[in-house]
Amino acid sequence: MVDLHLSPEQIEFREMVRNFAANEIRPIALKPERLEAFAKPFLEDLLSEASALGLRTLMLSEDAGGVGGDMLSACIVLEELATGDVDISVAMGRTMLLAHELFDVVQMSDGQRKKFLDAFHNDQTFHLAYTGGDPNAALGWHYHDGAVSDDAVLPSANADGDDYVIDGTIEHVANAPIAKLFAVEVNTGSGASVLLVPRDTDGLSVSEPSDVVRGEFVRWHHGTAAKVEFKSCRVPKENLLGVDGKNSVHSSDYFVRDRLQRAAINLGLGQVAFETTVDYAHIRHQGAKNIVEHENIGAKIADMASKLELARTMIWKAAWAIENPDAVGQGSLSNLPLDIVASTYTAQSVLEISEIATECFGAMGVMRDMPLHQFVHDSLVFAHGDGHDIATVLRIAESAVGYSRAFAA
Amino acid sequence: MDFSLSDEQKAWQRKAREFSENEIRPLSVARDQIEGPFDPWHWDLIEKGSKLGLRTMAVPKAYGGPETDFVTQSLVMMELAKGDSAMSKAFSQNWKWSHLIAHACTEDQKERFLKPFLADHRYLMGRGITEPNAGSDNRLPPKEDPKAGFKLRAERDGDDWILNGEKCFIANGSVGSLFFVDARTDPSVNISQGGTLFLVPKETPGFRVGKLFNKSGWRFYQNAELFFENARVPHANVVGEVAGGSTKTGDGDVTGGDLFGDLELASNAVGVCDDACGLAMSYACSQNKAGKPLIDHQIVQVRLGEMHMLTEALRSFTLRVAWEHDQGHRSASGVLMVNFSSDVILRVTKLNMEIHGAEGCFMNARVEKLVRDAEIWPHLAADTVLRMKAVSKLKRPDTSNA
Repeated sequence: MVDLHLSPEQIEFREMVRNFAANEIRPIALKPERLEAFAKPFLEDLLSEASALGLRTLMLSEDAGGVGGDMLSACIVLEELATGDVDISVAMGRTMLLAHELFDVVQMSDGQRKKFLDAFHNDQTFHLAYTGGDPNAALGWHYHDGAVSDDAVLPSANADGDDYVIDGTIEHVANAPIAKLFAVEVNTGSGASVLLVPRDTDGLSVSEPSDVVRGEFVRWHHGTAAKVEFKSCRVPKENLLGVDGKNSVHSSDYFVRDRLQRAAINLGLGQVAFETTVDYAHIRHQGAKNIVEHENIGAKIADMASKLELARTMIWKAAWAIENPDAVGQGSLSNLPLDIVASTYTAQSVLEISEIATECFGAMGVMRDMPLHQFVHDSLVFAHGDGHDIATVLRIAESAVGYSRAFAA
Repeated sequence: MDFSLSDEQKAWQRKAREFSENEIRPLSVARDQIEGPFDPWHWDLIEKGSKLGLRTMAVPKAYGGPETDFVTQSLVMMELAKGDSAMSKAFSQNWKWSHLIAHACTEDQKERFLKPFLADHRYLMGRGITEPNAGSDNRLPPKEDPKAGFKLRAERDGDDWILNGEKCFIANGSVGSLFFVDARTDPSVNISQGGTLFLVPKETPGFRVGKLFNKSGWRFYQNAELFFENARVPHANVVGEVAGGSTKTGDGDVTGGDLFGDLELASNAVGVCDDACGLAMSYACSQNKAGKPLIDHQIVQVRLGEMHMLTEALRSFTLRVAWEHDQGHRSASGVLMVNFSSDVILRVTKLNMEIHGAEGCFMNARVEKLVRDAEIWPHLAADTVLRMKAVSKLKRPDTSNA
């Protein structure tokens, strides 16, 4: 039994965010100075406006005072938000997901929950960050190789009386510039554990967001991020999340949801590139007619529309799969990492869509004061960064052929 | 078949390679990262290259130039573009118009324009055809709409022509001393019948440079708006015939228009691909993934192989067309080659990016720049319109005189 109807709430939320993206974000996000490739300031004020729509709490359970939206709802909303600005959508997605992860999924103590949940609800600018990375991110490079060890170097957290003292640096933490609470993956000596560290804790410092150009490198991520340093940063032991020596985030579906969110955001980027092209094709007159009437433009539009439709179908299916974990065993779904199928297909397709869009704009497609080149840049970051590289698809292959890794990280 | 290069060709290639490695490459990424449309420009580089003959190498011997052949020009562009695609284009853009002057201009015009071009290391040239509402229509004029194409008007006034209108995206716009400008001398017919090409020096009264375009790729290269407000141009500056001189360039049979233009983009693409291949190979040999060198991973090997395969195929195609041009052989190969170059440069620069991947939340700046430069190709001369144009040439009988 397949039902592809969206609920009235999902449709209503989508309309609200679609209008917000079109009317509030895009006029500001598309200002020429924001399109400069080497300086793209993060639009924090607009993020706050999006928060006022209730988006931070979209995935948070109703018990915890949130909207209680499912993964599909989150994907729908983030896709729309991304049609306004990818970075706002990425930052919002992170907080939205971490709120669900920290307050609903992992075992917070009652004390922790009361303290941090109240603070989260009472402040629209209260964002969340997690310092750990996906331990499976590079697994594709170990295709059919069982000997994989997680060699992530974590900040140390040494017990001292009633406190832990954290020391260490994490180069890149998503949402760090805006977060008021950090879930910090540390090594307590018993193994990877998670400590909750409020931003104003002594010894925690967040650097300025990374420069766009750093030596031989250019910034290559979405959202807002910065380096986080801990110097004799003292937090009470009661801030330990769950059990000492166990990172509960690793045993949840956090990274699957995170990947899927980014696929939805990537899709929003493709959608806006498509819509921008169609609008232009209706008004640009060459070859004795508006270019939308030319066969070759029609073929491009068909290609773009089909790719978007396939990507959206895959993302929605993978989102539904997260909420219906029995569907694989019951025979309704393939036993594949659907999140990776969705995200890699979307990344590749949206890059192609963005390139078609720029071509349709002729020379305007490569001008800095037009958004087209930004679509290509943002698509490239999704396709060749942000959790994707050429080995990522090999994780799909391992599932498809039934390979199981004995010592997966 | 003989693929060997002459001593003279090898000497030019060597000179270009040294200039590219010593002067161009060290500036490449730094100039690219400077904000603003004009600011990445660097006159010193142009002067240095000019002193080596890299600005004037297409000028015929009769007028004091070296009169290099197309193969040599192609080889030099490949070398320069390996250092920086946009910097190579800033030099080669002048060869294009040197060809045009040599083939289509009168002795008087050659005297008046080639001499100052040769004498001044900062004398650059460009051609203005594109207008805000005339891009594809100039390259593939629709039969059913005679009014399509450029609108810039030229009206006769005694011994002069009065030009009114605007051009956009014009190469070397902000730095050029001389422009070839396509204008309508008869707006009642199509651009093939009513278009005329004029030589317009930058000091022409009524002529001015407008907005400079800030591009995502090819940042060094200059593109600008040109405005003509009752710009007065002497009749002696008409190139070829009134109502007909302009379109000959489009056929590529008497001038440097398409004939050189196609070769220019394809050769430049080879240089960029050579650079990408070098970067990818050195990265793959120096980095490890999952405990072994990147180059030992099969998924990297197939990409490196494809990059080199496409690059060598493009090099062969390009040099063959250059050689055909030198033999006076005209065919659709030029336009097919430039179509192919667009596919190849986009693919090869992105494969290079795939092999590098992100390093944390950073990307190698040169790898990223090559993709931005490559993204210029489908907007210049290797888009869908040019693919359709190839067919119009394929339908025609071969005009070979070889």
